[in-house]
Amino acid sequence: MFEQRIHTPTLAPPERITVMQGQALVSGEPGAEMSTVLGSCVALCLFDPEARLGGMNHFLLAEPPSTAAGGAVDEYYGTYLMELLVNQMLTRGARKARLRAHLYGGANVNRNMMRIGSANADFARGFVQREGIELVRADLGGVNARRVDFRPASGMVRCRTVEDRYAPPVQPSSRPAKATGDVELF
Amino acid sequence: MTTTRILTVDDSPSMRALLNHALTTQGFDVAQAEDGLAALDWLALNEVDVVITDINMPRLDGFGLIERLREGSRHRDRPILVLTTESSEEKKARARAAGATGWIVKPFDPVKLVAAVRRVAH
Repeated sequence: MFEQRIHTPTLAPPERITVMQGQALVSGEPGAEMSTVLGSCVALCLFDPEARLGGMNHFLLAEPPSTAAGGAVDEYYGTYLMELLVNQMLTRGARKARLRAHLYGGANVNRNMMRIGSANADFARGFVQREGIELVRADLGGVNARRVDFRPASGMVRCRTVEDRYAPPVQPSSRPAKATGDVELF
Repeated sequence: MTTTRILTVDDSPSMRALLNHALTTQGFDVAQAEDGLAALDWLALNEVDVVITDINMPRLDGFGLIERLREGSRHRDRPILVLTTESSEEKKARARAAGATGWIVKPFDPVKLVAAVRRVAH
């Protein structure tokens, strides 16, 4: 007589990781779920389906003082923030040619910050395009804050609008004082 | 006065575009390579005054590029500046040991970068 065992699958709750503004995190843990709430900020999610590895950043670039009227972003600092996420992915075994991107955020939640949200969204789109990374989905702009939940090991993303009060206060990620591109000659 | 020729080596098209803009607007003659192997191919056929290279790149990284350039006599004294997101002292020491001329941490300041290029080029 065969013993029959019934296995009840255990649905463990995801290990939730909050991605704060200015952070770039990478994980390949099957149970991990990265979450963030975006108003004018933008989040780039990258996923390598072969390496089963994903990463997310969350940024709002400051306007350089000299170009504040034009709503431009600090492209030197922005490119650096993006490169940090890409490099973390590559260091963990991802390949750039396999990367797939999602972009979220850049809403015009605050009328006074309208141009910053749009400028940051444009910058992020431009970066992904220039790098030749496949853009799978972009949900940018509009007037509503968004909550993004990203499972880095599977690449699954859920993006939904939330009340603006859940979005973090707008604080542009100014280039840190120490990030001044100092030169050391040997 | 001849134009200073610079080869920038970086796998990011965005970073190459920023470097190209920062340097050409200051009168430098700029060529670009997407990784260490592409840089070696270009340098086999062209002359250059300064090399600016990233560290993390596919196929041949910045350390490998510097080592390969220092192996031969042609580029033994060529100024090579490392421009990288890496901030660890260990990697900086490794670049120095490989023969790098200088170390610049991103995000770079165009004014400081240009000053460094002018300093090592002459």
